[in-house]
Amino acid sequence: MPIVHEGLAREFEYVTREDEREMILEQIEAGDALMQEMAYSLITGNHHAVDELTKQALGEGREANDVLDEGLISGMAVVGVKFRDNIIFVPEVLIAARAMKAGMAHIDPILSASGVEPIGTAVFGTVKGDLHDIGKNLCIMMMRGAGFVVHDLGVDTKPDEFMEAADDNGADLVMMSALLTTTMPNMGRTIIEFEDMGLRDEYKFMTGGAPVTQEFADDMGADGYADNAITCVEKAKELIAMLRAASAE
Amino acid sequence: MPYAETMTSRERVMNALAGLPVDRPPVSNPTNVATVELMDMVDAPFPDACRNPELNAQLAATGYTELGFDSIQPYFTIIQESSALGCEMQWEQKDNWPTVRMSNPIWKGEDDVKIPADFLEHRDMKSVTGAIEILKKQFGDEVAIIGKSMGPWTLAYHVFGVETFLLMTIDDPDMTMRILDKLKVATYLFADAQIAAGADAICVPDHATGDLVSGEYYKRFLQDIHTEMAERIDAPLILHICGQTLDRMPYIAQTGMAAFHFDSRNDPQAAMDAVDGGIGLVGNINNPETLYSRGPAEVRKEVYACLEAGVQMIAPECAIPLQTKLQNLLAIPDAVKDWSAERL
Repeated sequence: MPIVHEGLAREFEYVTREDEREMILEQIEAGDALMQEMAYSLITGNHHAVDELTKQALGEGREANDVLDEGLISGMAVVGVKFRDNIIFVPEVLIAARAMKAGMAHIDPILSASGVEPIGTAVFGTVKGDLHDIGKNLCIMMMRGAGFVVHDLGVDTKPDEFMEAADDNGADLVMMSALLTTTMPNMGRTIIEFEDMGLRDEYKFMTGGAPVTQEFADDMGADGYADNAITCVEKAKELIAMLRAASAE
Repeated sequence: MPYAETMTSRERVMNALAGLPVDRPPVSNPTNVATVELMDMVDAPFPDACRNPELNAQLAATGYTELGFDSIQPYFTIIQESSALGCEMQWEQKDNWPTVRMSNPIWKGEDDVKIPADFLEHRDMKSVTGAIEILKKQFGDEVAIIGKSMGPWTLAYHVFGVETFLLMTIDDPDMTMRILDKLKVATYLFADAQIAAGADAICVPDHATGDLVSGEYYKRFLQDIHTEMAERIDAPLILHICGQTLDRMPYIAQTGMAAFHFDSRNDPQAAMDAVDGGIGLVGNINNPETLYSRGPAEVRKEVYACLEAGVQMIAPECAIPLQTKLQNLLAIPDAVKDWSAERL
């Protein structure tokens, strides 16, 4: 169904890149008016409405995966674009995330019970000495929504904790976040500790966080870098594809 | 006429903060320049150097005696007040920054906001004021001593948790304002105490960064508070905000503060244009890539870019990684002196 919700139509105008317009529009148009209302409520951070609409959608017999893609992920994709383009900032993203969480509370149990094979498995933590976790939490939420199994290691994660969690959970990706320029070097130190234990090639390493750049990620020896929660998911998918291709050879 | 240094470090810093002529641009870091190498050099490691006035003074002095910066910063972290307010702390070891466990916040709402009567008597506050007294006795008027007092926005992150506080700004902006008004009392108390102890200027970190909130947020929640601080605190103030801040610099420039310490994610020339002479700038050598990972040549290049843009005080962009190499820090004053010899 084309966009009929006026508020959502206005929000969609913030998406200006052609490829993104196409991708998000495809998700929105796969749904109906209720899904559009849900996407709009998520974008504007109305968690009570998202909670109610998700219950209603599932109660009316829609598939959990469809509600996730057409109502929640499509809304969050618009939020991601607006955040990246400095149209909104973290408080606005947080209220959208709170709304997404309200919807996921109904969807998660259904997806978990369905036994669908995950896209990949990641362990994700804020590095040693750093107790900031907003960016990490947003990325984890988006990755889980996209079908990854993500083990949240919390904040102040030491290299041996990354190593143990990656091994215990059969991870594909080791994902590290930092907010402080003073703790960013601990990303490199973590990778070096994996190298020292002969485990560097077992995993793909991703880095991110407000002060982290592609150049810094390269310097630290990371395989991937993302500057926001949306590209985090895309980059994680790329790295998984590389791992799968390598293991198929 | 060849360039010659005619000012003490203190005169140089104070003149720059007052917008008066200087013999050369001062080198200063209003946040701090402590490193593991410097801690070893004077046997004053973290976390003890953050909690003991004598060790604090020993380590702080190295910014002047070993690095040749024009100022000393005896408050290394951003957590001393939060410790005194009762936050759960993680003091770490020598090679890591002490920090507040913000995932276990101590307060939930505005009724909780109370500055303890013995706030200034807490050991982590006395560590700073005591160090300033020691340094003032040791160095007199030779070098500028820059104190530091956290602004209410940063304190709110620590006592409520970042996520909770940012959600509060949307859910209840009026309450947010009332909380900031209550918390600014802590800023005043600590700033006044440091000035009484001998501080020449006060850095006010208040992390309304572009990585988290918009420039309009700064205007709405903080511009008036910072303006009041500039009027109320009896010393030049240096505001510090990390991250992208170009969009709020025009507002910051109207606060009456003496200077703004800015991050490397803002181009020096663009920053000079944004403040348009309304406030001095301090900055903005990149920490993680340049000072931590590169060498003196790259440091020199960034120093020159700042000086060419007209940045008034040259500094790392923020508190530096503790493993930063001394040769890269030494390259900052060297480059400033070389530039001054070439251009002045």
